Amino acid sequence: MLIKTSRREWLRSAAYGVGGFAVGGMMPGGGWLGVPQANAATFVDPLASKQPHFPAKVKSVIWLHMDGAPSTLDLYDYKPELERLAGQDIPASFLEGIKTSTQGGVGKLFVSNKRSWKQYGQSGAWFSDLLPNLAQQADKLTFVKSSVTVGATHDISILKLNTGDLSPGRPSLGAWVAYALGSANPDLPPYVVLYGGQREPRAGSVNWSSGFLPAVYQGTAFRPGAQPILHQAPPELIGPQQQRESLDLLHQLNDIRSAARPQDSELAARTNSYDLAYRMEATAPEAVDLSKETAATKALYGLDDEATRDMGTVLLRARRLVERNVRFVHVVSGPIAGLGQGDDASWDAHRQLESNHSAHARAIDKPVAGLLADLQSRGLLDDTLIVWTSEFGRTPYGQSGDGRDHNPWGYTQWLAGGGLKHGLTYGHTDEIGLKTVANPVDTYDLHATVLQLLGLDHLKTIYLRAGRAERPTVVYGKVVNDILA
Amino acid sequence: MTKTLKRSVIAMMLSASAAALAIAEEQKAPAAATTESPRASKPHWAWQPAYQPFAPNVQKKDWSHSSFDAFVLSKIEARGLAPSPDADRATFIRRATLDAWGLIPTPAEVAAFESDASPDAYEKLIDRLLASPRYGERQARFWLDLARYADSTGFQNDNNRPNMFRYRDYVIKSFNEDKSYSQFIREQIAADEIAPGNQELLVATGFLAGYPDNSNSRDLVQRKYQITTDMVDTVGQAILGTTVGCARCHNHKTDKFTQKDYYSLQAFFANTAFDEKAPANKGEVEAEFLKEQAVYNEATKNIRARQKEIIDSVREAALKYHKERYLTDSRESIFKAKDQWNALDRWVNHRLDEVTNDAALAGFLRYAADDKSAPEHSEEIVKKADEYQKLTQELRKFQNLRSNKGSLTYTAATELGHSDAPPTHILFVGNHEKPLDEVQPAFPEGITSELPDIKPTATSSGRRTALADWLVSEKNPLTARVFVNRVWNQYFGKGIVGTVSDFGKAGDKPTNQELLDHLAFTFVKDGWSVKRLHRSILLSATYRQSSDYREDVAKADPENKLLAVFPRKRLEAEEIRDSILLASGSLNEHIGGPSVFPPIPANLIGGGNFNNTDPAWATSKDPQDYTRRSLYIFTRRSLPYPLLETFDMANPQQIHSKRDVTTTPLQALTLYNSDLIFQWSQALAGRVIEEAGDNEAAQLDRLYLVLFGRKPSEPEVKALHAFLDQHQKTIAEKAENGKLSIAVPVTTKAHFVDPLRASAFVDLVHTVVNSNDFVYRF
Repeated sequence: MLIKTSRREWLRSAAYGVGGFAVGGMMPGGGWLGVPQANAATFVDPLASKQPHFPAKVKSVIWLHMDGAPSTLDLYDYKPELERLAGQDIPASFLEGIKTSTQGGVGKLFVSNKRSWKQYGQSGAWFSDLLPNLAQQADKLTFVKSSVTVGATHDISILKLNTGDLSPGRPSLGAWVAYALGSANPDLPPYVVLYGGQREPRAGSVNWSSGFLPAVYQGTAFRPGAQPILHQAPPELIGPQQQRESLDLLHQLNDIRSAARPQDSELAARTNSYDLAYRMEATAPEAVDLSKETAATKALYGLDDEATRDMGTVLLRARRLVERNVRFVHVVSGPIAGLGQGDDASWDAHRQLESNHSAHARAIDKPVAGLLADLQSRGLLDDTLIVWTSEFGRTPYGQSGDGRDHNPWGYTQWLAGGGLKHGLTYGHTDEIGLKTVANPVDTYDLHATVLQLLGLDHLKTIYLRAGRAERPTVVYGKVVNDILA
Repeated sequence: MTKTLKRSVIAMMLSASAAALAIAEEQKAPAAATTESPRASKPHWAWQPAYQPFAPNVQKKDWSHSSFDAFVLSKIEARGLAPSPDADRATFIRRATLDAWGLIPTPAEVAAFESDASPDAYEKLIDRLLASPRYGERQARFWLDLARYADSTGFQNDNNRPNMFRYRDYVIKSFNEDKSYSQFIREQIAADEIAPGNQELLVATGFLAGYPDNSNSRDLVQRKYQITTDMVDTVGQAILGTTVGCARCHNHKTDKFTQKDYYSLQAFFANTAFDEKAPANKGEVEAEFLKEQAVYNEATKNIRARQKEIIDSVREAALKYHKERYLTDSRESIFKAKDQWNALDRWVNHRLDEVTNDAALAGFLRYAADDKSAPEHSEEIVKKADEYQKLTQELRKFQNLRSNKGSLTYTAATELGHSDAPPTHILFVGNHEKPLDEVQPAFPEGITSELPDIKPTATSSGRRTALADWLVSEKNPLTARVFVNRVWNQYFGKGIVGTVSDFGKAGDKPTNQELLDHLAFTFVKDGWSVKRLHRSILLSATYRQSSDYREDVAKADPENKLLAVFPRKRLEAEEIRDSILLASGSLNEHIGGPSVFPPIPANLIGGGNFNNTDPAWATSKDPQDYTRRSLYIFTRRSLPYPLLETFDMANPQQIHSKRDVTTTPLQALTLYNSDLIFQWSQALAGRVIEEAGDNEAAQLDRLYLVLFGRKPSEPEVKALHAFLDQHQKTIAEKAENGKLSIAVPVTTKAHFVDPLRASAFVDLVHTVVNSNDFVYRF
């Protein structure tokens, strides 16, 4: 077996693992080549840090999913022609080749009379009045104004954004990253999910699922509050010293029995996993404890303001996790109370876009801008990739007259951090911001590009499942080389 | 073809480091398998019929207990090894009970087996295990993994599927009655054609009806295609062990499956729809449901009546609006006059009907009220919309009165009363909007030249019956092999073919094909009796072996392919939870019925963007439900039960072929920190004290007998006593201001002299539950 020469060394360092796999283990960009086997004498730590295919530009990713789909036409994609045509029916030529979900007209073109636009930074990027703080970071951003995807409803498009498929079951991008690169900090999960609000997004977990990869690669959802991981702390009546003694006894009992099985590294790994868990009881709360952050830092993220505190807390936690070498931090924006029921509480502004987007933009503007500034001042920005994304965008028209409907044909996302051409705008939509007319970027292309920046070739990041070589971009995807530095 | 093949192999190998490449070569692992030309003239081994191989000559002639043992032994002897001695009886009964039931044996069961000197002691034990309904519960769990069983639809709305428990109970019952595997398959694929009107069998088609679904899909033609795709992929992998789904977008890269083969399989399901509202026979479950629902109905009578009144006043316009929201090709069917409907139109309109209800129609009110430019907009409609919304909020307050215990309906496949099916086309790169040639139902040409014998009935195309008959025909080379291999995998941790759902060229080759063929041949000859298959394995010499480490085997056969030692195994998620419940005396052994909701952390119960009224988790009202066996816990696709999820339970989104075994610190955190496990440990401590009395040595003996079927060894006793002595002091020191909060054993019958010592004993029990010995079976 492969690991034979280093088994002894491995045994010492092994922390936890997938049992009983033929060891093709530590290859770059992919767990193991082979299949489970019954005799688990061979055993490899599935989260051992692995080398990428080529030198990585960034170490970590912060994936900012704006849940409900913001209108990027009201944030970044300035369209004077749309302002001119507002209130009129959409010229038929713009709808060519599009399958809309409404019979007999799609509603009038709409522009809020409150919107105003300005150019910022050396790049002269346009920002609307909704993002005054982020606008100050203009030259750090790389815009993709030609994003396309599939879908008419949120759920399937959110799945595609995160897993590359319209049905549940495939691994999320973060799970692929955890699988391909392992963990860079054994004391924390490599893939962490943070969400706005007090509760997990409904049906959220399929979006950070490990799919057909082993469960060890799924995202760990950190809960709000001091105990981020479920089962973080011992039952109330077990004091710290009690726990220590119990774990010592556990070690003893396991050792007595495993003496007769000197080669069984899976049992050894299980014994060791309790030591690691014990450490995690301290490291995970510490990682999200903001009490030692300065007042200035807290203010930078907007923790001093009711409107920005929720997302500010989430993003400051994200920075602390990236600082601690978590590979992939998956952020989902939260609902805002008072905006309505269900989808109305998210960015999903079919109606009353002005009140919806001013609340949501306000909630993220300062925290996201603060994150970028903070990462830069700590020298972390070059090692981190920030992706601001959503399941789709919104149409220039809306059925309700004061909102916008779903638009998978053309919308804006941006990236920031290491390995990018900063201040660049890539691709564009038509004159009213409905369809992409140049350089379309699909979710698969975005995934391929994220992996590229992590040093992974998406075509070579492979997991063998039932004889099929699966990869993160399914059978699609091309790296958007034009935006890479 | 060859070119594509090469490229795919290269892509795969590039990802491997030099070291991994070396290993791949050494093992002749998947990559090597693909060097064989897919157009080779000799059919792939798994596509040739299974034959009865000659029993090989072996030296240890008296070793065998089951007919297949010789096939295992000959390979062991060929490598110059001997099989391991039998495991001791205590180890064996714990192993067999866990494998057959998913539960640990009781001390009494262990003692009875240990002291049974009769020559048929093993037979008596195994027959007792197989006769218990717990056997069916355990085997059902494996089948439900393959059936991607869930009690909800998946996707974001993840609506409840309150009928699915009937399918789960059908599976349990089938295993317990030892229904032949062939009949089991026929019923699941085509019960509506072969047993129309028989609810007990019709629910078997829940196997097909378990597809993930998205009730708010606006593209019904696409939905039909996705549902069909899911059914074909599930049947292909679960029953045939083929990755035929690969041929959906392109001809299969390694197996002789063409796109035509694939869509010809889809054609068997072309006319398949599902009735999710068939009225169920009235039994206990239904009576209970009615009783609970009556309370809700009474409490909300006025609200719902008023809501209906409002919808009635706009019903026609609302329905029109609702229908118009579907995509172009769906609308073609929806707006066609009923007398013009073809088979596809029937499907689309049936689907529309299934997902259209008053709550969906209320969307119209919202639109007409909000869109001031809408022709339907009026002050009156604004009032109605506001009132309707208020009523909905009002209704939500009665949520906890609604029954979540099952339903009055059942789900079954149907062809909507017609025998003509919509056409099936080959689709360009799998895109349903790019149809190519039309195909007819047919079996994969590479496997058989047999043509389906399709006999339409008055109400159905007969297609699925023809498919089912071929699946379980004695000539089918795959069905029996794939199933016996799955059962083998269950007991020995690895199939004879390692890739249990891929018997294709890219999958593993059998480590012992004669063994596999003997098992498959015997299985069919025995009338596809699943129990006889299990019995032969459980009684075999191969299965009786000790799992003790042997240096000679580790050297000669490091992967243990020969099975010269028995492979020890981590317990599955359900086995861990159920066995702790059993040990603590808390297990509620009620069999079957609607799925239950034990409490989960409030924070997991979905916030954010949800737009339907079903709560994600309505905790069961009856605490008895909290301690049911794990397979009865409501399987919500978007919200896996946390205690089980960490231990690699099945992911219900797609067919789940094999449980992973991962070892992670999150598992340690779960098992050590979970309040539930701690409470059950307290109960177990109480039980032990009740049964063993005050004597501490007797208590330790009893604890070990309950959990492991053996007494603690001397070094263990020493460690445990030392722990108690130290721990008692530690607990005493916890006192703050002279006040102490401690966890004591939960018992009503026994009393303990020293609460500190008793509290230390609770921690001891909790620790022993966490040990490797408990979480593994040897």
